[in-house]
Amino acid sequence: MEGRVLTTLRPSQIYRPEVMEDIQLKAELGRYLFRGFGTLRARPLPSFDDLTFIPCSLTRIPLEGYRERCSTKTVLGTRFAKRPIQLDIPVMITGMSWGALSYNAKVALAKGARWAGSSTTTGDGGMLPAEREHSRVLVYEVLPSRYGMSVHDLRAADAIELTVGQGAKPGTGGVLLGSKVSQEIAAARELPPGVDQRSPARHPDWLGPDDMIIKIEELREATDWQVPIFVKLGATRVYDDVKLAAKAGADVIVVDGMEGGTAASPEILQDHTGIPTLAAVSEASRGLQDVGLYGQVQLIIAGGIRSGVDAAKALALGADAVYIGTAALIALNCNRPIFVEDYHALGTEPYACHHCHTGRCPVGITTQDPELTKRLPIEEAAERVANFMHAMTLEIQMLARACGKADVHHLEPEDLRALTLEAAAITGIPLVGTSYVPGRSGAH
Amino acid sequence: MKIVDCTSRSVREINEAIRRLVDAGEPEMLVRNPGARHNLAVAVLKDVAITIDGPVGYYAGGMSDGVRLTIQGSAGWGVAECMLSGTVVVDGNAGNGAAASIRGGTVVVRGDAAARAGIAMKGGLLVIGGDTGYMTGFMMQRGRIIVCGNAGPALADSMYEGIVFVGGEIAELGNDAVISEASPEELAEIGATLTGYRLKGPGSFRKVVSGRKLWNYDKKEIDIWKAAF
Repeated sequence: MEGRVLTTLRPSQIYRPEVMEDIQLKAELGRYLFRGFGTLRARPLPSFDDLTFIPCSLTRIPLEGYRERCSTKTVLGTRFAKRPIQLDIPVMITGMSWGALSYNAKVALAKGARWAGSSTTTGDGGMLPAEREHSRVLVYEVLPSRYGMSVHDLRAADAIELTVGQGAKPGTGGVLLGSKVSQEIAAARELPPGVDQRSPARHPDWLGPDDMIIKIEELREATDWQVPIFVKLGATRVYDDVKLAAKAGADVIVVDGMEGGTAASPEILQDHTGIPTLAAVSEASRGLQDVGLYGQVQLIIAGGIRSGVDAAKALALGADAVYIGTAALIALNCNRPIFVEDYHALGTEPYACHHCHTGRCPVGITTQDPELTKRLPIEEAAERVANFMHAMTLEIQMLARACGKADVHHLEPEDLRALTLEAAAITGIPLVGTSYVPGRSGAH
Repeated sequence: MKIVDCTSRSVREINEAIRRLVDAGEPEMLVRNPGARHNLAVAVLKDVAITIDGPVGYYAGGMSDGVRLTIQGSAGWGVAECMLSGTVVVDGNAGNGAAASIRGGTVVVRGDAAARAGIAMKGGLLVIGGDTGYMTGFMMQRGRIIVCGNAGPALADSMYEGIVFVGGEIAELGNDAVISEASPEELAEIGATLTGYRLKGPGSFRKVVSGRKLWNYDKKEIDIWKAAF
């Protein structure tokens, strides 16, 4: 080899170009890297794509796929709340803050969700009056930061979500870099304009599950036990966390997998913390079953839900509803190839943009710049969100009917098979062509 | 004065009784035998005087807007948390996170406050007649804290625009907390505030504010950031 000129390039598989660039960027900045969107791991995660439905043939009888009734009604908060929330569909909009998102994006999500017969959620920056006005069902997040927290908004909400963690960065709060902390956002959060706002991970007035019991009681007292209390968990030790949240008195538990999105967080957290949504829903369902509260405590699954197919698989694995976040933003226009020169100015391209943290969103979604915000006309954007949620619902119904179900909530694990050994081990669903589930005996 | 007796009643029943009196326009009421129950008098949204004649548990007066609450005993965690306006006076000591995240109003703890008093305050005033614990004023955004006694370690850590006045010893300043000169006007205002609540403070106070070096990521401040995280 020595002395010879190599005729092929032999790049390092350890120090790949993106790894070298990462090191050089840190050498320049002197800190970890931030970005938005969600995990960009090159190595695929176990996902809902590793499962397939096995619809009816002779052993089960299907419903007519295009026309027979298949209910999508979804009721959440039946355990303690006097007014459980009633949705037309099991697809909901997750919490995303005004600050991370533009005003137009927040209002478009509220309107779109209403038109689709579903709910939206506030986020780490308080409740926008327009968001309340345009939402039929609005979930109010109570986060560790308590930015903009108001008892009046709390009492105006249809459900309360006590956020313990988020899938994109469990164990750590989010970030709103100074470029997005405008005068208006700073005023709403009672912060100095332009600071790099780092949200806390711990609530200021409670710590563990024993305290949370009391905090949940306080929220119920403040709302006269009228509305459901959700507890939202970033997916980590899901089996135990779900049992603790259920025992603490949650009406609804939200589990957010590591594919969950964020407007700005340290990159390492997005790529190297938490567990995938497929694993999260499986653990959560088992947890509720093992404490005897499956069906009494409803389960919402979030984190990288992209379609009615993902949603239907989540329902079959035990979820009562799903949250969408990034997919709803993509429906709004995120990454659409318009204003392409502005993607280039950010050093990216349409369909590869994850620059939410910069506040320079080319399509007016993750920005506080008034000129960029104008690029997202509310009515048109809301219609796209409603259309997307409707399409997702039709997909869920299509799969449910094929599996012989007159209600999407009747989807069950038996309707699924695993395409990989890994997915079989994670979900307890048998591997296709066998009855084999890793760790269980008696396969044939 | 109307009386709400807590004996043999659940928190729900007690708060419903309080709310009925508030809604009926009663200007003041006495809550007897609280037995250190949690969540008493939460989310009271009117200017009404409520006296609780004993110790309370977590979140007494939490999420309120306008209440004038007096606790004739000690309070557990998060007294008056997220209050928007009004006054909460604790005659005894207060547990962790007193006045956590309040956006307005005044909280007075005549005795000592435990860890994280005034954490994430977004406005308002917290007055502590005695000593205060670890991380008082942590991540405080706005508002003022007056500590008549000594302050524990990590005082005023990672604050944005809050101000902490300490009359006694400061065990240790938190990250990015710096001592600043209190103006004669500020000292006079402290004196008037303490007199108003019949508290005796020391002759002088030190003022602690944010050094503002953690407001934005900056590699020039790398040593501070390493300490902060």
